[in-house]
Amino acid sequence: MSELSFLQHYLAVGAIMFCIGLIGFMTRRNLIVMFLCTELMFQGVAINLVAFSQYYGNFGGQAFVIFVLVIAASEASLALALVVLLFRHRNTLDADAWKELKG
Amino acid sequence: MQAFLSIPTSLSADPLSILGAIFTTPAAVSGSVVVVLCVLAAVGTILLLPSRLEIAVRRVGGVFMLAALIILGSLGISHAENQMGVYFWIFSIIALVGAVRVVTHPQPVYAALYFVLTVFATAGLFILMQAEFMAAALVIIYAGAILITYVFVIMLASNPQSTAAGESTLADYDATSRDRVIASAVGFVLMGTLIYVIFDKTDRMPEPGSQLAGAVTQVGAAVPGATQELGTYLFTAQSVNLELAGLILTLSMVGAIVIARRHVISTEPELQRLPQVEIAPMTPVDDSPHSIPVYGTANPRQKAYPET
Repeated sequence: MSELSFLQHYLAVGAIMFCIGLIGFMTRRNLIVMFLCTELMFQGVAINLVAFSQYYGNFGGQAFVIFVLVIAASEASLALALVVLLFRHRNTLDADAWKELKG
Repeated sequence: MQAFLSIPTSLSADPLSILGAIFTTPAAVSGSVVVVLCVLAAVGTILLLPSRLEIAVRRVGGVFMLAALIILGSLGISHAENQMGVYFWIFSIIALVGAVRVVTHPQPVYAALYFVLTVFATAGLFILMQAEFMAAALVIIYAGAILITYVFVIMLASNPQSTAAGESTLADYDATSRDRVIASAVGFVLMGTLIYVIFDKTDRMPEPGSQLAGAVTQVGAAVPGATQELGTYLFTAQSVNLELAGLILTLSMVGAIVIARRHVISTEPELQRLPQVEIAPMTPVDDSPHSIPVYGTANPRQKAYPET
């Protein structure tokens, strides 16, 4: 039962971090800070995966965290390139400047 | 209210019964405490998010958030009889405070720096979970690579607006935020539900030694924390995925270069450029072996080898 208690505490930290990132992604208007908040959500998921990896005693979770890091790095590079491109077009980082993309 | 409370807690598929279970459970972490803490933290978040409110009001929000965190931490310490160790509480509180500041700080540079703090605290949590390689990779990749990219983009893509007094003011999209109330409600309802489920419904999970858990293990009896065994696992069981990860990184690098490439438009007029270079004829001008034409010059009679 002690093992389960350890797992629960780490899962709670990961869940809280994910939700904080979610709130930030919904509320902030700066494009760069919005992508920072997605990185925060990645962190919460990574804590969950490593906690399960330790709980079950195999390396599946840790290997998956490596792939999460890979995806996070790719996402950061592509998203920041897009942010720079959008900034050149409108000269602002406001997400509401691209409101017409809502359709 | 009595009828509401008397709904049996076994029908967990019904949302009403989940709510009933929150209020009646003799749980590890009491459901009503979770609800109160989430409401407190939600009000704090609403006040703390960037807005045109007074700075004192935002400080009140910060006090609310800190109070919620401290209450949660003290409840956890008293419940778990401190068996988590003091480092878990230190690292998790640093990580969560950093995360809240990432979300609520109006200036993007400070948000990025608080994210570095969160990354370091998370790496500490990984070390506590005996995942040393993950901690090192997190610090190197996140704090070393991704955050540097973020800070560079923040510096490149910001237009400083200075007032006459010399102090720089925030841009409008940094100083305000959208839908604070709705977003906080959604986020904290999700958070409360997750915490409740984690602490009360995880008894049905498969135990570490059971069939489901053992089916995934490929490399013997894996001891978490052994970096060498993690490498063995990665390059035997996950080798194809590892190659795919490298492919994805290469593709994203190419894509980022293509997206962010700036088309340089020359502003100098056409006449000031160098005169168009004539293409030298393919054949020699005359029969002399010294008359091989030279490409790229304006003079087609220039010889490749000067006559000595």
